[in-house]
Amino acid sequence: MTTANASSAPVLPPPRSETGALGWARANLFSTPFNAALTALSAVALLAALFFGLRWVLFSADWSVVATVGGRFVIGSYNSDQACPGNNCFWRPQVSLLMATLVLGAAWGIAGGGMARGAALIVAGAAFAFAFLPYGMERMGMDVRLLLAANLPMVFIGWALVRYTPLGSARTLAIMAVAAFGLTLFLLLGYEIAGDEGGWFRPVDVRHWGGLTLNLILAGAGITLSLPIGIALALGRRSHLPVLKTVCVGFIEILRGVPLITLLFMSQHIVPLAFPETFPRNSLLNAGVVITLFSSAYMAENVRGGLQALHPGQAEAARALGLPGWQTTLLISLPQAIRNVIPAIVGQFIGLFKDTSLVYIIGMLDMVEVGRVTITGRPEYQGTAQEMFIFIALVFWVFTYGMSYISRRVERNLGVGER
Amino acid sequence: MATVNRLFAYEGIPIWRHARIIEWTLQVVSGVVIVALLLWFFSNIGNAVEDRDIPFGFTFLDREYQTPIGEHFIPYDSSDTFGYAMFVAITNTLLVAVLGVILATALGIAVGVARLSNNWIVSKIALVYIEFFRNVPLLVQLLFWLFIILALPPVREGFVIADLLYINNAGVSFPGPNAGGDFGITLLWVGFIVLGVVLGVLAHARLSRRELETGRASYPVVAGFAIAVGVAAVSWGVLALMGDAPITFSAPEPRGRFGRIGGGVTIRAGLLVLLIGLVIYTASFIAEIVRAGIQSVGRGQVEAARATGLSPMQALRHVTFPQALRVIIPPLISQYLNLTKNSSLGGAVGYTDLTNVGITMTQTAPAVSIFLLIMLAYLAMSLTWSLIGNIYNRRISFERDEAQSGGVLAMAARALPFRSRRRGGGDDGDGRGES
Repeated sequence: MTTANASSAPVLPPPRSETGALGWARANLFSTPFNAALTALSAVALLAALFFGLRWVLFSADWSVVATVGGRFVIGSYNSDQACPGNNCFWRPQVSLLMATLVLGAAWGIAGGGMARGAALIVAGAAFAFAFLPYGMERMGMDVRLLLAANLPMVFIGWALVRYTPLGSARTLAIMAVAAFGLTLFLLLGYEIAGDEGGWFRPVDVRHWGGLTLNLILAGAGITLSLPIGIALALGRRSHLPVLKTVCVGFIEILRGVPLITLLFMSQHIVPLAFPETFPRNSLLNAGVVITLFSSAYMAENVRGGLQALHPGQAEAARALGLPGWQTTLLISLPQAIRNVIPAIVGQFIGLFKDTSLVYIIGMLDMVEVGRVTITGRPEYQGTAQEMFIFIALVFWVFTYGMSYISRRVERNLGVGER
Repeated sequence: MATVNRLFAYEGIPIWRHARIIEWTLQVVSGVVIVALLLWFFSNIGNAVEDRDIPFGFTFLDREYQTPIGEHFIPYDSSDTFGYAMFVAITNTLLVAVLGVILATALGIAVGVARLSNNWIVSKIALVYIEFFRNVPLLVQLLFWLFIILALPPVREGFVIADLLYINNAGVSFPGPNAGGDFGITLLWVGFIVLGVVLGVLAHARLSRRELETGRASYPVVAGFAIAVGVAAVSWGVLALMGDAPITFSAPEPRGRFGRIGGGVTIRAGLLVLLIGLVIYTASFIAEIVRAGIQSVGRGQVEAARATGLSPMQALRHVTFPQALRVIIPPLISQYLNLTKNSSLGGAVGYTDLTNVGITMTQTAPAVSIFLLIMLAYLAMSLTWSLIGNIYNRRISFERDEAQSGGVLAMAARALPFRSRRRGGGDDGDGRGES
């Protein structure tokens, strides 16, 4: 009887109000009276914020301050009269950028697409677009523009290099990246050459390094070095050897307990006391070492979290198979532990990149400090501080959000949380 | 060869192949190297201090500081000593830390819950908030807020709302309590407040247990609050009758020729900017922690709670939240620690926090000694946070048997970092991998 009824009744489509855009809105915006009120309230607030925000951005805000600072955002006072009397050092950071895009292109070639392609094309495309900024030729010469525009072909050269030559392996890529970083440092430092008439390669003191380049150099060095140091510290802290353990715990807890800004200040004013007075002082090196060590203490705690979450059976099985202790750690425990804490590690990388803005305390002119000095030093720009810091915030955001986006993709590709 | 092996053997194994002996040799060698490095470092500093006539020592602490401290909320005068000035700076940092932690927790929980809301707009607004403020350096945010406050009209032309709220580029003033004439009496009253809170907490614990054991309604929350508020009010009344009110209430009003605001409570620009920046920045991290914590509670838990007849609010209060707290507390405490340390950026926005005052002091006093003191102060603060976190963690951890053995002191001792609870498994400030 019931079956007859069921088969004779026509199968109705779901009610209109439960499907499509209408159904979605009902479920997500107006499911209860309270929810509907919340929707209305936040929609009004959002629209008001959008209206006044956009009106300010498009009509009231004076973005000329950003254009005035221009290239100093990127290289600080690197090409200024004090740093480089002939003002002809701009090509050195630019060649560094070319090397970076070459490496990115190579990474695209190795990965064969996906995120690496996106990152390479976005960076090179942005640099290419910057070549057409509407500055006058006296402010931004043809040489500057050409070197910027060259970034786009450079990506494809890097891509072709790993595709059509025997250089195409992940190992060469790593070597290329490290070599490019070293060359960048060498290029920016400069060197006294006998036949260098115009001073194209004159040494530039690290005091004059600045802008986003400085942030990126400090972050690059810190990210590369803090992970291995952090892993070593984490293993040391988990070791059953009391001396080793005590040293690692002390190091980690002291660095984590003190603000970075205090450590930076000390590195500049107290650590030099331990060296002879003739010992050259190098604020860049100080900043790099302090930021790296500070970050590695946090990294150690992240890695240790991963190691602790690992089931002891993994290591026991490896030992039972006859692997010696160091192989158990390197081949079994660490890869799994690190895979499980990728978000925390990338979070720490992002934190490190943001922390590079603290080098103002030792008198270095990073991107934030360039903005602050412009605002406080020139009364006519006092009223445009909001524009300035919104711009700087957006630049930092692009990098940090890019990092967290990549980490989420990597995590998904590795299948974390699925097994 | 065999004789050699027997001669240099321990437990029948040649010593150069005996794992324990190798380990200990390595440890002793590395320990000696590290101690030697540290000795070299500090003796070099000591030599430099002597050779270059760099002042060192702690006698400066008794000297007059003779420098004003921009903001202080306990009495301070330029004729006070360095030691007291440093104490004032520490209280400044503590003030920002305590206020910041309270406000950031409230905002963070609100945003975290909004992120999980089934209302699409609310959830997306929370997402944008989190993703933006978490990814921009705190310094940039602080400078942004600083220049907004500085762009406000000056004191005389500032905004006045209902003659009670004054907003201008010197800060925000609103009606509130002021310390009485005698600061000692105020401190005494603060002591009474602490006593009241302790009594209230004890009463709450006792009545909750009674309610749990006997099933009779005992109103622990009401009683706890009543005791705390009662002690505070009665002690205020007694002190006021004895001659000097520990605090007085007043509304702000322009005073004098330049229209400076007197009376009420004024949060000056430096503190205001630092608080806004720290709270908004830290809340974005706390929101993510809260979201992850709530999501970590299995769906079945809520469904079971609803099936037993609890309302959605009751399910959240009695089932979801207590379980989420286990996941939330350890990273939350580490955010509190970060907030405390990030308050050292106060110098960039004109707030006289510990680091800022310390850096100023180095111009007239030995830098090495000052930085030793600053580091000790920050280490003490971070240890306090770890201690609080670990005590709480132990209380809510699943391993209750261990948590409840011994009294409060034993618990505090276990909660200290630097020692592991069990062999092998480390235990630390953030208590990861606990339950």
